[in-house]
Amino acid sequence: MTPQSAFDQHHQAVYSFAYRLTRREDIAEDIAQECFLALVRAPQRFDPARGSIKVYLFSIARNLALKQYRDDHGEEPLDGSEELAGMDPRESMDVSSAVAAAVTGLPQLQQEALVLFEYEGVTLEEIAQIVGADTGTVKSRLHRARARLRRVLAEYRKGNAHAVTGK
Amino acid sequence: MQSPENDELSERELDAILPEWKTPMAPARLRTAVFPEALLPWWSRVWGASVRVPLPVACGVAILLALAAWRWSTPRTIYRERIVPVSVAAGADELRPVTVLRPRIIRSANAQN
Repeated sequence: MTPQSAFDQHHQAVYSFAYRLTRREDIAEDIAQECFLALVRAPQRFDPARGSIKVYLFSIARNLALKQYRDDHGEEPLDGSEELAGMDPRESMDVSSAVAAAVTGLPQLQQEALVLFEYEGVTLEEIAQIVGADTGTVKSRLHRARARLRRVLAEYRKGNAHAVTGK
Repeated sequence: MQSPENDELSERELDAILPEWKTPMAPARLRTAVFPEALLPWWSRVWGASVRVPLPVACGVAILLALAAWRWSTPRTIYRERIVPVSVAAGADELRPVTVLRPRIIRSANAQN
């Protein structure tokens, strides 16, 4: 597979993944650009025996997004606390913003697992390769992420119901 | 008191609500940033080419160019030979070469002083 065909097939997915992790279009663009430039400059680093080109590109994007996260948050733990962090989705007016706030409020490791699985259609085994963990760990992170989102987004639903009924 | 079903979304509700978060399209300039040579014509690449020059060299070239521009823009001083009018009274014949050369030898014994 040439870098051009890899770009044609995966650039939107890599960009979306980076955007969902950072919620910044400029940073997502930089990350996607760096991913494909790495492939163009050193194609020999991609080893098909270790995984697909999609896994390779998502791995680079994930590392760059983590670096960005550390630049923004310092040494804050990636697995987060059990408190509900992030924006309060009840304050968001539309459902898209509420979901975005809830997902980006997840701890980083749960967030990347959820985004890869739910939005990019990556399998559990591929996610395990991308994040360098075993499949059981990824499954656990995904489960905790979904449980947390069910709670947080229920608050959004209640908030909307209050807004509608005026209570 | 909240009913239990309001405390959490169901799995089905969560599956239905998650796709509501859309992302923007990747910008078209991303391709140009990754593969600049594939899209640009040769003249555009030449036009966009740049050369890195050390600052002292750049300053030297700038000074030379400024001097050249200054010299080019300053009008030149024209030096003309001063024409001395020859008076007729001085005798134009005196200025002619002699027709007969008559050298006179002065010996040191005969020389006065």
